[in-house]
Amino acid sequence: MTAPAARRRLSPRAKAALGIFARYATIVGLVAMIVAFSLVSPRAFPTLNNFTNVLNQASLTMIIAAGLTLAVIVGELDLSIGFAASLHGILVTGLIVSNQLPIPVAVAIVLVAGAVIGLINGLIVTKIKVNSVIATLGVGTILTGLAFAYSAGVPIVSGVPEDFLQLSLGRWLFGIPNNILIMVVVLGGLWTLVERTAIGQEIQAVGGNPSAARLAGIDTDRIKILGFVISGVCAALTGILLASRLGSGTASAADGYLLTAFAAVFLGSATLRDGEFHVLGTLIGALIIAFGFNGLNIFGAPTFSQYVLQGAILIVAVGLSSLGRSISES
Amino acid sequence: MVRSPAAPFLIAEGVAKAFGGAQALSDVSLAMAPGEVHGLVGANGAGKSTLIRILAGLVTPDRGRIRLDGEDITVSSPQHATALGMSFIHQELAFIPGMTVLQNIMLGVPKATRFGMIDWGRIAREVEPVARRVGITAPLSSNVKGLSTAENWLINICRALVRKARLIVMDEPTASLSASESRKLFAIVEDLARSGVAVLYVSHRLDEILRLCDRVTVFRDGRSVAGFARAELSHAGLVEAIVGGAVRRTTKPAEPPPQGVVALKVSNLARRPKVEGVSFDLHHGEVLGIGGLVGAGRSELARLIYGADAPDTGTMELDGAPYAPHRPADAVAAGLGLVPEERRADGLVLTKSVAFNLTIPNLAKIVHSPLLPLIDDRRRSALAEQTVRDLAIKTTGIEAPVGRLSGGNQQKVVIGRWLIRAPKVLILDEPTRGVDIGARGEIHRLIRDLAAEGVAVLVISSEPDEQPDLCDRVLVMVEGRIVRELKGAELTRQAIIEASYARAAAAEETPS
Repeated sequence: MTAPAARRRLSPRAKAALGIFARYATIVGLVAMIVAFSLVSPRAFPTLNNFTNVLNQASLTMIIAAGLTLAVIVGELDLSIGFAASLHGILVTGLIVSNQLPIPVAVAIVLVAGAVIGLINGLIVTKIKVNSVIATLGVGTILTGLAFAYSAGVPIVSGVPEDFLQLSLGRWLFGIPNNILIMVVVLGGLWTLVERTAIGQEIQAVGGNPSAARLAGIDTDRIKILGFVISGVCAALTGILLASRLGSGTASAADGYLLTAFAAVFLGSATLRDGEFHVLGTLIGALIIAFGFNGLNIFGAPTFSQYVLQGAILIVAVGLSSLGRSISES
Repeated sequence: MVRSPAAPFLIAEGVAKAFGGAQALSDVSLAMAPGEVHGLVGANGAGKSTLIRILAGLVTPDRGRIRLDGEDITVSSPQHATALGMSFIHQELAFIPGMTVLQNIMLGVPKATRFGMIDWGRIAREVEPVARRVGITAPLSSNVKGLSTAENWLINICRALVRKARLIVMDEPTASLSASESRKLFAIVEDLARSGVAVLYVSHRLDEILRLCDRVTVFRDGRSVAGFARAELSHAGLVEAIVGGAVRRTTKPAEPPPQGVVALKVSNLARRPKVEGVSFDLHHGEVLGIGGLVGAGRSELARLIYGADAPDTGTMELDGAPYAPHRPADAVAAGLGLVPEERRADGLVLTKSVAFNLTIPNLAKIVHSPLLPLIDDRRRSALAEQTVRDLAIKTTGIEAPVGRLSGGNQQKVVIGRWLIRAPKVLILDEPTRGVDIGARGEIHRLIRDLAAEGVAVLVISSEPDEQPDLCDRVLVMVEGRIVRELKGAELTRQAIIEASYARAAAAEETPS
């Protein structure tokens, strides 16, 4: 029993106000940022072109972050995603360029590889009971090694077929960039899985209270492994699309997605729900980050400021998320 | 061992404490003299732990006074309790793994220094005789990690002595000790007393109390109801004081015990040391109670049956077929349900809605079809609404977070989740703990209705009145074994408590 005096007491009104602040702060922040950038830079910023461009760029972040969302919903962290995406980028270009495999076959192989990496992460965490931070950091580091081994440290740049570039650069439907189309399909699918299916209810139960979920008859290990597998597949998809966009496979091309994805996921958890991770929130979190960086670019902000912003966003995001949780629990 | 009586140095008088609406202590008094071993006994919930927590500075009493050496004191914190010379050794011992025995003994004690650095050599020389005296055989420089529970106790006693404790409170010291380890501990306790340290010895094991204690105080329902000097002590006298009134058989007419088909057959199930070989039959249509004291192994037995832990030995049959669950999911698939003791920690996802929590094990019932496993909102609402109505769950709606409901209504949600499944066997661990009196009656009616429909129900309860009210039959567990079966006219509150204090020796003789 904890001493009641030790717990911080808030008046109901203050609690409600704080709750609303935490729930809508991110959305208000997003809108405010768009309005501010539009006022300061009415020519360059608020154009359909720029918005499409931002969304196109952000699509890859959204896909990898949505996958990560599944891992964090089941109560684990997946730090391997950035490194995995880099490896997958090299792998897919290598399979196409060096092994002359048809593009769909190469893509399918890499997606399966992503699922296998997720499965390995999940087995290490649930069966060997290694903390997920350590397990996925270890797996991620091994993947970086494999990426260098596969590419011999040299980026695969020449011989990438135009068809493969079109996967990311093309506009196959209504003139909408493919990245955006794929992102919408993936996020829509994951949202449906989590919010609307039976297995999604089990995923949420495992994340909400693993002990209660287990005693209610859910095979919690299987659900956690599923979370890692989805995270792994999304990382693979991001790696493929990045390789297609860059037209090359480089050993560390996608490493930076890790921090951005985490920032998006935690910003998202503070959105609309009290510190609960959810796919729609992740989408909004990724949008905030994308518009933030776009604005900095338009104003020609120096490179160092991007790092500062990225770090600050991550801390603010996790802070808002835990504020939301403490409100819902008090 | 008659020791010369000394004047008490610590006196608690008229101490009372309520938690919320529950009166944990109404009026208890206790006096401790130097060099005495003072037994403190009482049934579950009699108030022993609350008094200890007050002495330890973890809880502030509502009324009453505590005097130390004639001065009124208020123990404000555990640090304060230590400074006053009181030391507490609990069932769950906390050590810092990876540190040595000596470092753990000296934790939080000001240490001798030399040139500003801790002088471990000198400390070791000072601690060494104390450690030998309490029987620590491991070198002080060894790591605490590999040590046994018994050795951990000794380290704790040593820590208390190094801190110059005048009073050492031991809470169920022998719960995890073997017989020979217990005997060693008794010798040390007697040695402590001879040297003038007072020991408050809290135990359910009356044989130990009889053997060890100079005086015994009995708590019942938050009051100190009896005090015995050594010469007056007897097993029967203690049990009578604990139970309240002489133990007698009621003459309530025996109802024919229900003998439906056996639903669950448990044979020689064991997970040592908590469950030591348990066998029984649970029939369809029966409400079977597992009685006994906290720590007797009842919840552990439930976990074995439910597949949450793996048994060392033993087999089970469910409706005549072999049943060996590896995980709770297997048990649920086989037709079992569990209402756990800690409903907030183990029963509910508190931030989620009533409907969410009701439907967790029933998702197959609310999807469009097995091929299209999308949630059908109409089915989900209908199922949740129906259950909320059937169980009279008071909530603002099925989408309200379950964490906002009262304890009784939260419990109904956990029960309702299994009702939907129409289980073969339902296990309820403390079904009405922390539940108000009205909801308690409703939950009891629900359980009886379930049994009437043929469900085999197993009820674990520490509330003395619950099982006589609710159960057709009660099996009383002591130290991991079933020592007594009570049914019909024998099934009374007194009989359950009396059997709960059955001697360990008797427990060993009972065939399992």
